[in-house]
Amino acid sequence: MLLKNGKIVNPKNNFEGISDIRIKLGMIVEIGKNLKVEDGEELIDLTGKIITPGLVDIHCHLREPGFNAKETIKTGIASAINGGYTAICPMANTKPQVDNSTTLTYTISKAKEESEIGFHPICAVTKGLENEKIVNVSELLNNGAIAFSDDGKPVENMHLLREALKYINSHNAVIISHSEDSSLANSGVINEGKVSTRLGLKGIPNITESLAVARELEVVRSINGRYHFAHISTKRSIELIRQAKKDGLKVTAETAPHYFSLTEDDIVDYDAKYKVNPPLRTKEDLEAVIKGLQDGTLDVIATDHAPHTVAEKQSPIQNAPMGIAGFETALGLTLTNLVHTGKLTLMEAIRKLTYAPASILNIPNQGSIEIGKPANLTVIDLNEEWIVNAADFKSKCRISPFDKFKLKGKQKMTIIKGKIINIG
Amino acid sequence: MEHLIDIKSISKEEILDIINLAKNFKNGAKKSDVEKKTLALMFYENSTRTRCSFEIAAQKLGMNIINFDASHSSLSKGESLKDTIENLYFLGVDAVVIRHSLSGIINNVMRLVKYPVKFVNGGDGTHAHPSQALLDFYTMIEKIGSVENKKITIVGDVSHSRVAKSNISLLSKMGADIHLCAPTYLQFENFNAFNVTYHQNVKDAVKDANVVMVLRVQNERHEKSGYPDSSEYKRLYEIDSNLLKEYAAKDVILMHPGPANRNIEVSSELLDNQVGKTILEQAQNGVFVRMAILNTLLKGDSNAS
Repeated sequence: MLLKNGKIVNPKNNFEGISDIRIKLGMIVEIGKNLKVEDGEELIDLTGKIITPGLVDIHCHLREPGFNAKETIKTGIASAINGGYTAICPMANTKPQVDNSTTLTYTISKAKEESEIGFHPICAVTKGLENEKIVNVSELLNNGAIAFSDDGKPVENMHLLREALKYINSHNAVIISHSEDSSLANSGVINEGKVSTRLGLKGIPNITESLAVARELEVVRSINGRYHFAHISTKRSIELIRQAKKDGLKVTAETAPHYFSLTEDDIVDYDAKYKVNPPLRTKEDLEAVIKGLQDGTLDVIATDHAPHTVAEKQSPIQNAPMGIAGFETALGLTLTNLVHTGKLTLMEAIRKLTYAPASILNIPNQGSIEIGKPANLTVIDLNEEWIVNAADFKSKCRISPFDKFKLKGKQKMTIIKGKIINIG
Repeated sequence: MEHLIDIKSISKEEILDIINLAKNFKNGAKKSDVEKKTLALMFYENSTRTRCSFEIAAQKLGMNIINFDASHSSLSKGESLKDTIENLYFLGVDAVVIRHSLSGIINNVMRLVKYPVKFVNGGDGTHAHPSQALLDFYTMIEKIGSVENKKITIVGDVSHSRVAKSNISLLSKMGADIHLCAPTYLQFENFNAFNVTYHQNVKDAVKDANVVMVLRVQNERHEKSGYPDSSEYKRLYEIDSNLLKEYAAKDVILMHPGPANRNIEVSSELLDNQVGKTILEQAQNGVFVRMAILNTLLKGDSNAS
């Protein structure tokens, strides 16, 4: 198969230019200008399109096993592929939790039945996400775990976090932090501020996140650990991480599209589709998130795809679960709100969606376009204008705060090991 | 006016129309336009005066009233509020008054209900209590003519008060000078949410006030962590005759949405004297204001079901 005339954007070697890609048996075998189509070879004309490494998501929730009404591995993978992703790393907070090899192996085999998508589960740090016993790290890594996180819940016992980080780092793996102080979160509904006060909703103060970031950074500093912060949403957290990086700490961080696309002011009509954890913050925080993406404090854009049933998201906002379905809007929001606005170059945006996340978690065969590697690629139309229609999501969660948003820039093909899946 | 959900969603003109209509009802000059229409009272939270007030208002208008018993309803069997309301509509209910502990529950359910039932907010969580604000405003203008540039001081558990929020919203529209007074732990989480003046010291707050509105201190909160005993509140914030005499404007009016905790937020002696009588008149005006609300919302076509 020959991909002709596409513009390659490959962050690993900072290459941006028109070039052809030849794929044989799922592998990239040649990259170059004016490649000649061989006898019997399929020709795909990508004139005017962008070819990037396949998008890599290091933060999502697929809900299976245990919460199959919200999402299954099958629908989650379909949603990811429809969003342009060729690799995903689901979090461990299913039921049972992915804190043991049996469940881990089950999810991996289930995923294989559906697709050849890179499927790299993140296992729990503590058994049952209960903040007591560290999981069997070596055994889980041997069975396909890519990283460790109690995401959905913080590890709040600092002794435990320190021991777990030392041990997990000693196996060349990383802990992903859900930074939250639960005493301050205190079953809040939205960001504490003007909007929560006016609406009479319990607020989640800004320091709920930054306090946890600050104390976890001290733990990381004390043992020179390697650590990754999930879903960073506040200005103060970003300042703390920026300083830590300046000090030479081996920390990385991600944010999610909703934190650079929406603020608390967008919450209307007590609609739980806006309810997410961490909550949508203020304009000042949103601007800090963009600055953090620009100066590299925030390395990664992850989806935090967190589907729930429509019925759950229609229930009163106080009772509704937190989470936004993210796979199918992440690229469009990134291109619309960061690239077309001139906040990030296309290269930097693609880096944060591909090469950076793949490098941070050491995901094999993902995040770059290289001869001799499997053809995991995403084809993008940078200028296509489209309207988000949540009813058409492949995810079971057909409700979104971005429903009816007009976006510019869209994934057109997801190519997994040389197999093209066209996207409408 | 289609529904009454919060003050923000209605105009100054609509507010004044309700006030004038209430005045006509109080004078006996206005007859009902909504006889035989059906009102359901859906109270999921305890209430004496709001519930009785709506019930009496509806009776005076010649309406049919369904007193929906939330604790014995099918909601306790897991039926959603949306399904309950749609069923009531098909039983012939024209309007529902909902009181609920969750802020915004009516906004939520209105988005889901597909039939043209009218909604009245009877108090939702810590969000809004618009009929209370309207009757408070009615009482104020009855007593002091206008609220424009008048100093109106609200004292007490501001942070948990839907009454305070609806009053702030209404009185702001009418150009009043609004002051709030509460200890830190009962103050709003965010000081920029409303355009009002905040006080820690009750004397500053009450100084030259034309209206002092006392809010119920929700004793049960003082049992929780993060709060001192209610005796601490009483010591610093209790409103009594001496305080009003010494600091407030000469013909200050005292208001309280009720139910009052005697000798905690307001002294018993003050409640029982002439100044305290306004609070009872406030309750009485509530009936006429709620008649005006129901008449305004429901005149016109009947539920065709």
